[in-house]
Amino acid sequence: MASQVLLQALFSPIQCPPSKLCFTSSCTASTFGSRNLPLISTSISRRCSPLIAKPSFVVRADSNSDAVSASDNVDENPEASDNVDEVPETEGEQILDSASEVEESKPPRQTRVKLGDVMGILHKRAIAASDEVRTTPDLRTGDIVEIRLEVPENKRRLSIYKGIVISRQNAGIHTTIRVRRIIAGTGVEIVFPIYSPNIKEIKVVKHRKVRQARLYYLKDKLPRFSTFK
Amino acid sequence: MAATFASRCSRVGRSLFGGLSNNSPGLFTTSHEMTCNSYFSQQQRTFIQMRTVLKVVDNSGAKKVMCIRALAGKKGARLGDMIQASVKEAHPNGKVKKGAVVFAVVVRAAMPKGRCDGSEVKFDDNAVVLVDKQGQPIGTRVFGPVPHELRQKKHVKILTLAGHIA
Repeated sequence: MASQVLLQALFSPIQCPPSKLCFTSSCTASTFGSRNLPLISTSISRRCSPLIAKPSFVVRADSNSDAVSASDNVDENPEASDNVDEVPETEGEQILDSASEVEESKPPRQTRVKLGDVMGILHKRAIAASDEVRTTPDLRTGDIVEIRLEVPENKRRLSIYKGIVISRQNAGIHTTIRVRRIIAGTGVEIVFPIYSPNIKEIKVVKHRKVRQARLYYLKDKLPRFSTFK
Repeated sequence: MAATFASRCSRVGRSLFGGLSNNSPGLFTTSHEMTCNSYFSQQQRTFIQMRTVLKVVDNSGAKKVMCIRALAGKKGARLGDMIQASVKEAHPNGKVKKGAVVFAVVVRAAMPKGRCDGSEVKFDDNAVVLVDKQGQPIGTRVFGPVPHELRQKKHVKILTLAGHIA
């Protein structure tokens, strides 16, 4: 009775992470081990020790019935079925029934989002949302691209920008490319955020073989290397 | 004391040479281009301020002006701002003569100008169009590309004269 209550108290906080449970169980086990207590306490300490180790499913030859009955609960609580294995069979069957009642009422555990991943996930979602409106081709340095841009000031028609991609800066949703061209005798470099809703179309017209990731040397070379019809 | 001075000199010399050799293997390899190319090509372009020499891209007669005052902005003028300038070089028979003090609108700047949609634009040179005090251009033609930031700065006449809007 009291033993069953104690064991249920040990099983119900199975939801909390095993490390916490380990600590409490280890300190209770240490306090119990010092005194001379009945069999139930030593079985507690024996049962809780696999929690400290990795929770792998261990099947014992002597408790086959427990293993078979616990197999349907194995994906939710492998550590609970571990504990069930080592218990002597008489107590094990009683504990198994109460444990299975406790486990089936709990919903399956959701994967936790770690704090460091949040921005990455938000960027991916934003990029997916922008891809639904307009697909963005894979742009690399050295591509000669043609961009059609809608400018809110110049509302009448789309502006067309052509040029060579001289760099690409990856920053999630604000991934930008720098496009260079000689317009009317003067070199112009424009940075475009490629997932911007203002950009109506990006098309890769040609590709030039380059061996750098950033073609900043084009500023110093002859204008004919940055001229595109 | 002479010994410490000599050691300090040698230390300075070594750090200088170390700096030179670190910065550019290009410093010694590129011969036909400017030697300081690869180190100084990453320079940070800043505002147009006093003593900045700019190119004139209209047919008002001037060729080069030097900025004597950036009329808006504490640190200097940017793309689309108006400046006061002194004509340093002019065509022989033009509307403005050398030494005249004029107003001008910056139409091309080497400093990148950000736009509200997250894009940036920058040109390879600094260029102005001469205007009068009200902002109306003196010349009748504008050469080269101009950005459409001028529309927001209410220099619509320059935009209409321009051949190409960047």
